[in-house]
Amino acid sequence: MNGPVDTEKGCYTEHGVSGYGVAVRVSRGEPMEDAFIKEFCESIMLSIARKCMELGARCIGHIKSHVRTEAGTVKSDTIGISHGAFSSGQIERPVKELYLAVNSIIQGIKEDAVRTATLDGIHEAADARCLIVEKEREHSYFDEFDFVASKQEFARKLEEQLKEDSTPETGE
Amino acid sequence: MQITQIAGFLGCGKTTLLLVLSRQLAGSMRHKVALIVNEIGEIPVDGKIIEESGLRVKDIGGGCICCEVASSFAKTVYGLYKDFRPDHVLVEPTGVAVPHQVKLAAKMAGRDAKVSMGPAIVLFDATRPAELLDMEMLGRLVVTQLEDADVIALSKVDTIEKTAIEESVLRIRQVNDRAEIINLSSFTGLGVDQLLERILGWKDKS
Repeated sequence: MNGPVDTEKGCYTEHGVSGYGVAVRVSRGEPMEDAFIKEFCESIMLSIARKCMELGARCIGHIKSHVRTEAGTVKSDTIGISHGAFSSGQIERPVKELYLAVNSIIQGIKEDAVRTATLDGIHEAADARCLIVEKEREHSYFDEFDFVASKQEFARKLEEQLKEDSTPETGE
Repeated sequence: MQITQIAGFLGCGKTTLLLVLSRQLAGSMRHKVALIVNEIGEIPVDGKIIEESGLRVKDIGGGCICCEVASSFAKTVYGLYKDFRPDHVLVEPTGVAVPHQVKLAAKMAGRDAKVSMGPAIVLFDATRPAELLDMEMLGRLVVTQLEDADVIALSKVDTIEKTAIEESVLRIRQVNDRAEIINLSSFTGLGVDQLLERILGWKDKS
């Protein structure tokens, strides 16, 4: 698997927002129930948030997760420790394996720090529950984010993009 | 085909509202609805959540639709028009997108497709007004998002006191005194009907 893309030149860093996303497979010999999985995910959310703040973040943009299993899905998120973490969805029956995607978007620290906090948060919560975690893929955020560009300048850049691109980069 | 964006800073409840609005539009109201969700990374969370709803969703990754993948957004809009002809396209940009830039990108698609613009609905998280507006650097972004709004939905009002709602309204009015402000709770349903009325009754002035 490739490492995260260097985003030092990216606008998110420039404007103080950095992000990191990771997809992992989590397993345990003993089946995991709905309540256990939700508590695990909420623990991850708050752990990442706490670690980001300890690393110097000014604000949690959002931290979100999506769990997919053969018996259903669970979504969890937080916008900061004081706001708490919440889950929705349902795992219909206990499962031994789940796929977890986590996205953290944070203001005030660089991408490396968000990556560290996210991975440490996942592993800390997993270790406490004797879960095995295998990383599958990861991504970073980079963009040419410019919210102060004039409308004329923005329209010009759009025209350039349309000329350059011949096929849409979409998925379904 | 009307394009309505549900914008706002990270964590303000855009995905939840998008699902609530689209279920009502596509359900009891029987409108043909398509969703465009923009997540910056390659590992989508919101896209997965919305896919589970069974709605038609286009997930655009790899950048922000208000800037670096704006042309992909324009082409996606045109593709939906050509292949699906929805009555409504609801767009969820990233939490750091600028509504007027998203609107410009959508209008580019309008050169090839018959589209009209719905209201730019901008959510503002009423549980953290100071945290958002006083952020170093990004406070300016939140202000820009509010300035661009046609309708401002004050989200999560079910979780705060009336005085806190009033505080948010006061702060919002300092940057946008023309947009209608609607109190919203996607969980209790407060404000959802009002937002649907604004979407359905919106007259494109562009």
